[in-house]
Amino acid sequence: MTQAVRDYYSASVAFGRVIVALVLREARVRYGRSRLGYFWAVVEPAIMIAFLTVVFTAFRNTQPAAGGSFAIFFATGVLPFQMFRTSSTRISSALEANRPLFNYPLVRQLDTVFARAVLEVSTHIVVMILVFTFQYFFFHASPPADIGMILIAIGLLAALALGIGMIIAVITQVIPSITEFYAVIMGASFFLSAVIYPLSVVPSYYREFLLWNPLVHGIEAFRAGFFAGYRADDMDLSYLGLFALSAVAIGMIADRIVTKDET
Amino acid sequence: MRDTNLRSGVELRDVSKSYKLKTGEVKPIINGLTTTVPWKNIGLVGRNGAGKSTFLRLLAGIIQPDEGEIRRNASISFPLGFRGSFHRDLSGIENVRFVSRIYGQNTEYIVDYVREFSELGGFLNEPYKTYSSGMGARLAFGLSLAMDFDIYLIDEIMSVGDKNFQEKSSAAFHERMKTACLYMVSHSMEVLEEYCEAGIMLENGVLTYFDDVSDAVAAYNDLF
Repeated sequence: MTQAVRDYYSASVAFGRVIVALVLREARVRYGRSRLGYFWAVVEPAIMIAFLTVVFTAFRNTQPAAGGSFAIFFATGVLPFQMFRTSSTRISSALEANRPLFNYPLVRQLDTVFARAVLEVSTHIVVMILVFTFQYFFFHASPPADIGMILIAIGLLAALALGIGMIIAVITQVIPSITEFYAVIMGASFFLSAVIYPLSVVPSYYREFLLWNPLVHGIEAFRAGFFAGYRADDMDLSYLGLFALSAVAIGMIADRIVTKDET
Repeated sequence: MRDTNLRSGVELRDVSKSYKLKTGEVKPIINGLTTTVPWKNIGLVGRNGAGKSTFLRLLAGIIQPDEGEIRRNASISFPLGFRGSFHRDLSGIENVRFVSRIYGQNTEYIVDYVREFSELGGFLNEPYKTYSSGMGARLAFGLSLAMDFDIYLIDEIMSVGDKNFQEKSSAAFHERMKTACLYMVSHSMEVLEEYCEAGIMLENGVLTYFDDVSDAVAAYNDLF
């Protein structure tokens, strides 16, 4: 009994230590190489929001469905979507990129996956804070209505990114070209995930299809948290939660199978 | 001084490990092995492809057995001088810090030791990709010797650097051996007999333990 407790304790300590070491290493490699590294993490979504804003303001006379300004409305779609896309993509290459580290028995496959998830999600939270603070001062955006709801949306999208990323990471071991396929899917998802429009404007016939996409629910939840009175009647957080949980479970099982096969 | 009778290094219970070749042939390395590898300086001998390196990696936990359980009663190093994990864009110091962190060792002590030992000076702050092969080896060797383990793994000892550096390495290594021991793979029987007390021979999936390394060397020579 005490032996088991001690084993568990030392395993947890080692796990924490390895995750911290991996996050620091990943951060240094990903953002530390050029001085612009971390800056780009902010600039990329900012450019995307600015571009969408310019295009929509120029070609449409209507007001956005919520938020009073296109810039703010797009930010509430682009930022959570980018968080999901970047995180899941980075997680999907975690095993390949960190293969030499598995020569240290303390570093397990899942550690590298978790470390990337932690780094990417926290980076995107910083980006969100920066963008929304900027918009608050320069576009007179209202502060978020329901921070709790936003955190739930971020948490569920992060879990989904972790699960999908793990599954892709494992499939990559067998079919390397899956990453290109995933990039194409993500490109299409940008238009199919209620990023640049609210779900409520989609005709009900098409909406039925979009509702199968778990991302839709996460992004709608993000907006519902951001804008007071935002109508997200079709949003189903239990669907997204179940989807994310299943993806994580499948990813972990697949990881075990692949680890065992490896010699 | 260490007491070789007190502790067992690694316990194996019903452990099997085999390699599947592309041709479909299955090559066993060990088969249903139950034994205790003692905490001693042990030399591993066997023909090329017998699985010495794989066995070492199994003991270390770098790879998992197909079946069975391995219990480690001592902390085991990564292979001495291992540098495959060094990231080309990180500096020497950053790479050293990373390894030190995952093993929970005193990072500042390790960095100071490597700084002193490797004699790389300002290069330690340059990206690893700018290092020559010899410089990389010095960094890796310094790191291995700085880290505190109960058992050090050596997969073919290699000589690094000039004569001066080799003498320094040898001295540091012998210092380590006062409190730790090593499991070593080598094709040089002289090296094995110099460093090891006991021996293990791997042949056709069968592991034989010898209390005296000379007996292992003799058995190995009989194979040919």
